[in-house]
Amino acid sequence: MLVIRDLMKTYASGVQALKGISLQIQPGMFGLLGPNGAGKTTLMKILATLLQPDSGTAELDDLNLIKARAETRKKLGYLPQDFGLYPTLTAAQMLDYFAKLKGVTGKKERRSLVDALLERVNLSAERNRRLGGFSGGMRQRVGIAQALIGNPQLLIVDEPTAGLDPEERARLHNLLAETTRENTVVLLSTHIVSDVSNLCSHFAVIRRGEIVTATSPETALAGLEGRIWEATLPREQVDGLKASGQIISTQMAGRHTRIRMLSKNGKPAEPFVAVTATLEDHYFIVVNQV
Amino acid sequence: MVTINSLRTFSAIAYNELLLNSKRVAPYVMFIMCGGNALLWWGWGPATGRGWATNSDFFIAGVLPVYSFMTLPLFTALMMADPVIKDFRTGIDPLIFSKPVSRAQYLLGKFCGNYFTLMCGQSAFVLTLFVLQWVSKQGVIVQEAKFFPYLKHFLFFVVISHLVLGAFYFTVGTLTRNAKIVYGLGVAFYPVYITYQVVLLKSLPSPWPTILDPLLMNRRNLHPTSVDVINRLVVVYDANEIINRVVMILLTTICLAILYKRFTTTERSGTVEKFSVLNLSTAAERVYYHESLQATLVDEFDYKAARMLTGVAVPEVVRVNKGIRAGTDKLIAALGVEFSLLRAERSLVVVMPLAIFFSVLEVGFYNIPAAGSHSVAYATNTAKLLLLFLIGIVVFYTGEAMHRDREVKIEPVIWSMPVPNSVLLLSKFLATVVLTFSLMVVVGLIAILIQLVRGHTSVEFSAYLTVYGVVLMPGTVCLAAVIVAASVLLRNKYLVYVGAVGTGAGLFYLYNAGYNHWLYNPLLYNLWRYEDLTGERILAYRLYCFILAAACLAVAHILFERRSR
Repeated sequence: MLVIRDLMKTYASGVQALKGISLQIQPGMFGLLGPNGAGKTTLMKILATLLQPDSGTAELDDLNLIKARAETRKKLGYLPQDFGLYPTLTAAQMLDYFAKLKGVTGKKERRSLVDALLERVNLSAERNRRLGGFSGGMRQRVGIAQALIGNPQLLIVDEPTAGLDPEERARLHNLLAETTRENTVVLLSTHIVSDVSNLCSHFAVIRRGEIVTATSPETALAGLEGRIWEATLPREQVDGLKASGQIISTQMAGRHTRIRMLSKNGKPAEPFVAVTATLEDHYFIVVNQV
Repeated sequence: MVTINSLRTFSAIAYNELLLNSKRVAPYVMFIMCGGNALLWWGWGPATGRGWATNSDFFIAGVLPVYSFMTLPLFTALMMADPVIKDFRTGIDPLIFSKPVSRAQYLLGKFCGNYFTLMCGQSAFVLTLFVLQWVSKQGVIVQEAKFFPYLKHFLFFVVISHLVLGAFYFTVGTLTRNAKIVYGLGVAFYPVYITYQVVLLKSLPSPWPTILDPLLMNRRNLHPTSVDVINRLVVVYDANEIINRVVMILLTTICLAILYKRFTTTERSGTVEKFSVLNLSTAAERVYYHESLQATLVDEFDYKAARMLTGVAVPEVVRVNKGIRAGTDKLIAALGVEFSLLRAERSLVVVMPLAIFFSVLEVGFYNIPAAGSHSVAYATNTAKLLLLFLIGIVVFYTGEAMHRDREVKIEPVIWSMPVPNSVLLLSKFLATVVLTFSLMVVVGLIAILIQLVRGHTSVEFSAYLTVYGVVLMPGTVCLAAVIVAASVLLRNKYLVYVGAVGTGAGLFYLYNAGYNHWLYNPLLYNLWRYEDLTGERILAYRLYCFILAAACLAVAHILFERRSR
């Protein structure tokens, strides 16, 4: 289990990125949702031993991730949000190098590992192609393959699906879901709600350096049952609705606006109808709450 | 009709090229090498000992065509090969061509921006000569300081000569979208030009050799009788030389006109050349779909079908991360990768042949006085010249290796691996050391070959081993360690380069001014003779050199932090 207690981080520029984050994460896939600039990447970097927090602790079972950095790296698989690869190396050479750095010394073992990883990320046919010519999705797959080397106990993937096309995203979802082992903690940071609803058994929402909610998708949706209302109205009526409940989202539809509202006290107005809550509703509610 | 707006677009493109070039290594290397070249011509060139003033019109006009031939063609190829290719390679071309930019503005802007950068690099030679008017050295005669001859002859003998060469390389690179072809042409320039001189120009009657020589190496020879006349001589360009320059400008125009006619902005069916591309655009920067659309599509995507693509089990592996053996294995792996990345540096295609060429130039074409043995004379001579190149190579390539991971954005991935800091640092340090040792071996072998061809036998390998092993190798190791430490401390490649160049220039000035001591001259520049290389004192010097290297590496190791931004 990964236990994070009161993690705080303020950058030299004065930006307070984390304001005392505490989380308890069981093995399995855990989603960390939040808007851009919420502090997700800072938290990920701290857990990946790349950034020192000002205070607080993070422990994976009995291992202190903040202090025992060298030990942590032996149990870690990390896919950063923004990363590159050596463009002149081939995919197989790059993975072989990463495997060596992770301590896979046996040549045969390494070879079969690289083959399996390339197969797994569907890059076998490209194994001898230089990485400089890879598309964004292909590079992302090499990134995830390197993170999986050595069956890490803690797998940190920071915004892995950003910018990928639907097929690549689905492939990555499957890959992550299938590689989650019984005793592995997978921490998935994203700002795409469907990543969490598709993959994670639990998730937390982070906003301005603070955890605003930590729950499971089922619990989050159960809490909204019967409280989400939708209607399509002329635009000029939208402002008048603010007193009736919390507006979750609005979407233009011709001269009208499709509006979703949270109302704890039944139908907010005519012609609203009750609709099934989605995780996106939950996300908008917690992120936009004052 | 040329409007103010079209001129603005053109100048914006040209200015952007200057900006891009200011972040490349090549122009700085070129500047330093051209400046160093001028220093050699000034202090150790034909003027010294013959009584020629180093700022006389005769000397300046005489030395510039030779400089233009010997140093510049490879740099012209390097700088002019890929300005347009880079745009296609980085994928910025659709952003540029979707703006109201005409082909002429784009191509001329690119050409002028890069040629101006090239010109700035070339000008280091005349600038250095100009500044050296105020420096005194025994045997060097200087007249009253002047400025105009430097500018005039530089424009006439260097800028126009390389204008046509630059336009040719630029045209070939842009039309083929393959920089390797241009580099090949750059390397082939010397044999082609020499053959052209020997086979064609020498057989033509006057004035054709002058008119048809792009570098104006066949100028009419002036043989004044006295030094006094030479120093007072004002070089006036004759009609043939002016015709030659006009022809060169016309050829440049024709070259660029062909390029303008043939250049298309459309995508090629094949892939654009991708070698040593630092394609830093990340997945996050590529937005293909609106987010809401993306979510919908993913939700509707057939996961069952997609699942078929995966499902291969990743085998369990044994990992060894403790002990000296594990550390050594990782170091060897990292060294292998670092060395292959160094070899992929495009500038090496130019720098290595140039270093080899100049290191063996004297032993190849001049008579080297052999007091004791020919091998000693050959080894000593090549080592002295090679040392200057080694300094440049070590400074710039160690700097590149130390900062590459950050530039390629692979740093967070590597830093999250269970690798000791010592492996990360030593692999980069050793990669440059191996590269320089390889260069020494090649130069040594070529020197031995020349020795055999010229009949200067017998070959004594021990002389080469002693000179290279005692003088060059420890110096290289020490310098590489200093750059590693500086890179860790400063964390900025350009600061390291500026610091290294500044310190180097200062030290060389001190050494040449007579303040030369082994304590601050670990490279032993101008501080050794072959006879000294077997004594106890040299052992102490070299021990000091290694201790300095070890201290620098220790400092780098202590201060190195896996500090994310």
